[in-house]
Amino acid sequence: MSIDAGEFLQASVRTATPLAFAAYGELVAERSGVINLGLEGAMIAGAFGALVGAGAGGVGAGFAAAALAGCAAAAVMALVVLWLRADAVIAGTAVTLLALGLTGTLYRALYGAQGAALSVPTIAPAAVPGLSHLPLIGRALFEQPMMTYLLYVVAALLGWWMARTHAGLALRATGERPVAAFAAGISPVRVRAWALLFGGAMGGLAGGVLVLAQVGTFAEGMSAGRGFIAIAIVVLGRWSALGVAGAALLFGAASQLQYVFQSLGWPVPYQLFLALPYVLTLLVLAGTQRRAAAPAALGTALTEDAR
Amino acid sequence: MSDCVLALEGIDKRFADVQALRRASLNVRRGTLHAVLGENGAGKTTLMRIAFGMVPADAGAVLLEGVPVTLTSGADAIRRGLGMVHQHFTLVPAMTAAENIALGGHGRLDMRAVAARVQELGERTGLRVDPSARIATLGVGAQQRVEILKALYSDARILILDEPTAVLTPPETEELFAWLRRFVAAGGTAVLVTHKLHEALSIADDVTVLRRGQCVLTAAATQLDVPALVSAVTGDDAGGPQTAPDRRTPQRGARVARLDAVSAQDARGVVRVREASLECFAGEIVGLAGVEGSGVHELLRVLAGRLVPSRGVATLPPLIGFVPEDRLRDAVIEEFTLTENLALRGAGARRGRMPWSAMAVQTAGLMQRHDVRAPSPVSRAGTLSGGNQQKFVVGRELDEHPALVVAENPVRGLDIRATAHVLHELAGSAAAGSAVVFYSADIDELLPLADRMLVVFAGHVREVAVERAAVANALVGAA
Repeated sequence: MSIDAGEFLQASVRTATPLAFAAYGELVAERSGVINLGLEGAMIAGAFGALVGAGAGGVGAGFAAAALAGCAAAAVMALVVLWLRADAVIAGTAVTLLALGLTGTLYRALYGAQGAALSVPTIAPAAVPGLSHLPLIGRALFEQPMMTYLLYVVAALLGWWMARTHAGLALRATGERPVAAFAAGISPVRVRAWALLFGGAMGGLAGGVLVLAQVGTFAEGMSAGRGFIAIAIVVLGRWSALGVAGAALLFGAASQLQYVFQSLGWPVPYQLFLALPYVLTLLVLAGTQRRAAAPAALGTALTEDAR
Repeated sequence: MSDCVLALEGIDKRFADVQALRRASLNVRRGTLHAVLGENGAGKTTLMRIAFGMVPADAGAVLLEGVPVTLTSGADAIRRGLGMVHQHFTLVPAMTAAENIALGGHGRLDMRAVAARVQELGERTGLRVDPSARIATLGVGAQQRVEILKALYSDARILILDEPTAVLTPPETEELFAWLRRFVAAGGTAVLVTHKLHEALSIADDVTVLRRGQCVLTAAATQLDVPALVSAVTGDDAGGPQTAPDRRTPQRGARVARLDAVSAQDARGVVRVREASLECFAGEIVGLAGVEGSGVHELLRVLAGRLVPSRGVATLPPLIGFVPEDRLRDAVIEEFTLTENLALRGAGARRGRMPWSAMAVQTAGLMQRHDVRAPSPVSRAGTLSGGNQQKFVVGRELDEHPALVVAENPVRGLDIRATAHVLHELAGSAAAGSAVVFYSADIDELLPLADRMLVVFAGHVREVAVERAAVANALVGAA
């Protein structure tokens, strides 16, 4: 069977959209110096929030609830890491495990064991007049759900904000050297808290996209490691807004490649193809010279003279 | 005092079980340079951090222009016209000078406008830096100019400088002082925190001395002299311990180390030492001088056996004592006990079980011989004062009578007593037959001790007379 390149690209962007939402959230958190392993938890919380919200008040309410649920997961993370001074890796893992368990439990409690058939309203792709007729990339970039267009705006704003505002400078300085930020009158705790909350909201929206723009329903554990892939995307994207876009596309394409391979009918277990994005994640994390572009204070707790 | 622009009155501050400040006061007159003197741990930095709003006081008042204020953060202090140049620079190495200077502002960030203002400020004040230069590529002198510009950029009228000369070379220090004099002459006010008595006397209008958290002396600099300051700082009426040990004519013994046309590279592969040749003999103290970036640090590491030359031959004795400049990075692990830190020496060459109880006994002996004041051999190194940490490091390195001792800025940041102790230890080690290579950023520390002087400039090593002028000229490459 033949493969339509335009269709492949369109599917790649669709798959990349939730990854990029989460990755931009993680980008901000990491530029402030915190590795948020609770991102996966924010994503599943967002997915569940989207289900509840959309069921009660339509798609708009669904996304709002998704962002709020992601924020709540990140708030737990911020509280535990920044104020109770727990280790960020352990706290993030705990938040993810907690969110995975809690959403599964609530889902069964609210919708019963047969909840799988449940479906919510979804948003359909909306073509941008003119632009969607561009050859090859037209449909890929401009025949997508509204959330993808929102993502373009967020990404561009974020890149501008980090480079061209004092708040963006404060964020970067906090990730590089919190002591210096503190001496300049900035509160590193506050910067990191806001960065985590923003990251959580973006992770929640990523979950919302999964439910409301793609699958149309909720399933336990449906984030399926995408939060962790988003963290790898930030690394591959060298902590820059533009780099994250490229890296997210690459991972989107790798996820789509599995369907291509499967359709080729090779006598290989399909699970191997399913594993492709995860293998790519491992290769990225192992293969990049991680420290080169990373914020210097990434993963370090705030010391007493910089709070 | 009506023209008192910054006043601290009756400040108390307690950290856990240490009373850092006890009813400490400071009155800084407008348009003056006020030196705050004291040993390490006297409370100088804490007092300044309270003045700058970074640390809340337990009791007492801060007055700006005679008005009591409550400063809750550095941002607060900056808004009220205070600026602080911290002892350990608070710059982001990965960012440019302009980005660092803009840090802490609000709203849109127009880098071009910031750079233009930095340029203009630099030209007006004579503090020249390239706004687009990354901090990591700047020398310490330039980094300090960035720190000062950062304060001036937010219109600071009162500058607090915490040990600003600790990292500067003599020409850089002179440049800074000349600038400070111009700054106060133009109506600015400066507070200079230092532990160097000569420095305070030569530049300040007023001097305040802190001892154990209390102000013990405030006077005009013209009414003071060094002996008066020493006794105020140490609380010792006899005039304090002698800073420099006596050096009798040394008995020059056998050659213990030799570098033959040695070249060496730093961690990034840049050649720092170029075809250096030198010899060290038992019983002598070789003074070594060199500015940052001259290759002096790489040369010291070659001599200490820590850096393998890229070319040439280094013939070194098997046992070398090395006192590195950055104690906390290279010499002790703060979280370890003293015994564990002692065990670190030579740990790579040992095998099998660790004789911990014997090690503890050895540590206790070392503490006694080298006057390391700590509760016990199993006290964590991080709980010791800087002076006692350094005495421990020096003791550990000298205790086995190494044939060669390499000391890199061994008294940096130490108080008068600890400085005297360390210098006596080095002199004693030479007298006992070790060859001692002693590097200091401060020429005046080197000259009284050195039997010979070597100066590193641009990677080349040259022997010069043991005289201030000769060394100062060689430091900057002049004949």
